[in-house]
Amino acid sequence: MTPTSDLDRVAMIVLRYMRRPLFVLLFVYSVGIMGMALMPGKVVEGETTHMNLFHAFYFFTYTATTTGFGELPNGFSEEQRLWTIFCLYTGVIAWFYAIGSLIQLVQNPHFIQAMDGFRFARKVKSNAEPFVILCGFGDAGSLLARGLSDHRMRAVILDADPERIKALGVRDYTVPMPGLHADASAPKHLLAAGVEHPACRALVALTNDDDVNLKIAVMARHLNPRLRVICRSTSARHEANLRALDNVTVVDPFEIFAQLVSRAIARSELHNLNAWFVGTRGVELGAPVQVPRGNWILCGYGRMGRWIHRNLQAHGLDVCIIDPEVDANQVEEGTAIVRAHADHAALMTAGIDDAAGVIAATNRDADNLSTLLSVTELNPQAFRIVRQNSHENQVAFDAARADLVLQHSLTTARRILKLLISPLVQELIDWLAGREPAQTRALVARLKAAVGEEPPHLWSIRLVPSQAPAVVDYLEEGGSLALGPLCCDARAFPARLACEALAVHRDGESIMLPDADFPLRVDDEILLCGTPWSESMLQATLHNPYTLHYVVTGVDEPRGYLFAWLDARRRRRGAHS
Amino acid sequence: MNLERVVFGFFVILTLSLNAAFVAGGVETAAHHNVWILTFTIIVNLVAIGLKLGDRSQTGALLLASGLVAGLLLITARIVWIVADPEGGSGPGPGDMADIVSIAMGALVANIIATVILVGDTLLSRR
Repeated sequence: MTPTSDLDRVAMIVLRYMRRPLFVLLFVYSVGIMGMALMPGKVVEGETTHMNLFHAFYFFTYTATTTGFGELPNGFSEEQRLWTIFCLYTGVIAWFYAIGSLIQLVQNPHFIQAMDGFRFARKVKSNAEPFVILCGFGDAGSLLARGLSDHRMRAVILDADPERIKALGVRDYTVPMPGLHADASAPKHLLAAGVEHPACRALVALTNDDDVNLKIAVMARHLNPRLRVICRSTSARHEANLRALDNVTVVDPFEIFAQLVSRAIARSELHNLNAWFVGTRGVELGAPVQVPRGNWILCGYGRMGRWIHRNLQAHGLDVCIIDPEVDANQVEEGTAIVRAHADHAALMTAGIDDAAGVIAATNRDADNLSTLLSVTELNPQAFRIVRQNSHENQVAFDAARADLVLQHSLTTARRILKLLISPLVQELIDWLAGREPAQTRALVARLKAAVGEEPPHLWSIRLVPSQAPAVVDYLEEGGSLALGPLCCDARAFPARLACEALAVHRDGESIMLPDADFPLRVDDEILLCGTPWSESMLQATLHNPYTLHYVVTGVDEPRGYLFAWLDARRRRRGAHS
Repeated sequence: MNLERVVFGFFVILTLSLNAAFVAGGVETAAHHNVWILTFTIIVNLVAIGLKLGDRSQTGALLLASGLVAGLLLITARIVWIVADPEGGSGPGPGDMADIVSIAMGALVANIIATVILVGDTLLSRR
């Protein structure tokens, strides 16, 4: 059996549907034309004329399609007129039947799907820009697509739900994002989505089903072993499977969420920096939320609650758990448990009066919102962190005025976006998390001095000939270049540009927060944070050898041969005397 | 202030000024156009080209290209003048004069482009 393509399937469906109507048309046409040619026409000069076959075909064509020019080329005899009546009714009916079949074919769901698949595959194939395959277009998927669109990165979207793909059609993305309603775990659809395409940068498996995600990751690994795969997973069993595959990054929404919650509580300066990097609304750099110290109450002990509890314990915080179905065996000794829904009474029992804060982290938005109301009433000073499950409830959560609202689809989308667009940023945050808070504060102070109040602009440059020709030439000629001079402002030497180098990636290793005298090498990747204006200024330094020479030495190098010769002569003379 | 920029700017702007001085006047009237000005324009333009040799930057390449275009057109105009006026007497006739002046106008466009690039580059670098 030979493999069939979508185009073959389309052709096959068209042929199967149109076979009968075409035969009917053929039959009616042949009978009508032959009959017309055989019918005796008007008698001219004693001889009966006949219509020839070409004129009969011409006549039938305009009659059957109801155009009706009249009796052409000559007036008809009575016999011919009788036959014309027959031709008219059969021909028109045959045409209606054929057109009806064609319309039915166009509305056939199999046909539509095959056409969609064919068009989608063609669109992906002809795309030359780098893109990401996104499997699953739910809350997190659509947020990720929006983020990618903001960074001008294309995505190819697969979702098993036709409604989600229809929703995709009405989004106003800045770049084309073709979508297909199909089961992403079928290798055929992954191939159509461009898993083997040279411009494909990564595959993100974001469906709500862990089994499907695992299947997608495994299929993609087999189809293209070099492709980077980012896979959402919430179960430990799947994670172990996935981590065994190389090139696969596992993203656990609960783990990310719990990490954010615990960092917001225990490392507020780091949380503030991270929020500023990802561009959260209303975040001001260097002004972290003030989280009180003391006991915390955790409402909800499902998968999310367990992660939060573990993370908070790692930061040395005391937690009291409220959950109607918590199993005492799952929780370590010494943790207070209240087995109830998080209502007034349960909160009182858990000691809301002297608690530092409450985390409402159940998987039901209504419960979380009502817990917030009770807390506001019982202890208005308590710090309130709330988990938002559904993107649709945004307005209600805005109105609840919690101190911190975290939405796990959003945090997941942001984490994946960071992994795709600027993986060094996440590395930097994790690196800072393992260091003293003073280091984070020092970085924040530096960033504030360099960038000021503006929202951050993060970009990375790679010291390769296509991106930094002047720097590569300079380094290959044996020149030494440090990070500090590279970031000098050529317009106001020796002042610095409004940017800070955050990390340097070299030979698979990352050097975090390099100093100003850090020596650069060819092929280094540098992550910078600054203003958009400083990026274009830095571009000039990277491309123009004279600007580079100026920022390194502070001397304008002579450009033409004549002045270079004069300069060399003057210098020689200076050396002699 | 950079001496190289002063010298180069001087020659580029002088070429433009001399070129404009040559083309000003009636297109067909030989009396309105001075062959000495045309010759000086060519010399000054060649000096500007020579000064730009060796520049590795993008703007340098563009300035060199526009200088070459202007030089080519000006030299063509001068050759037409020589051919049309072999005795060196009363100057070329109206038809030949129109050719010479229109070619020199083309050179003027190239010189304007060179000057705009030079001024723009200097303003953008702001130092």
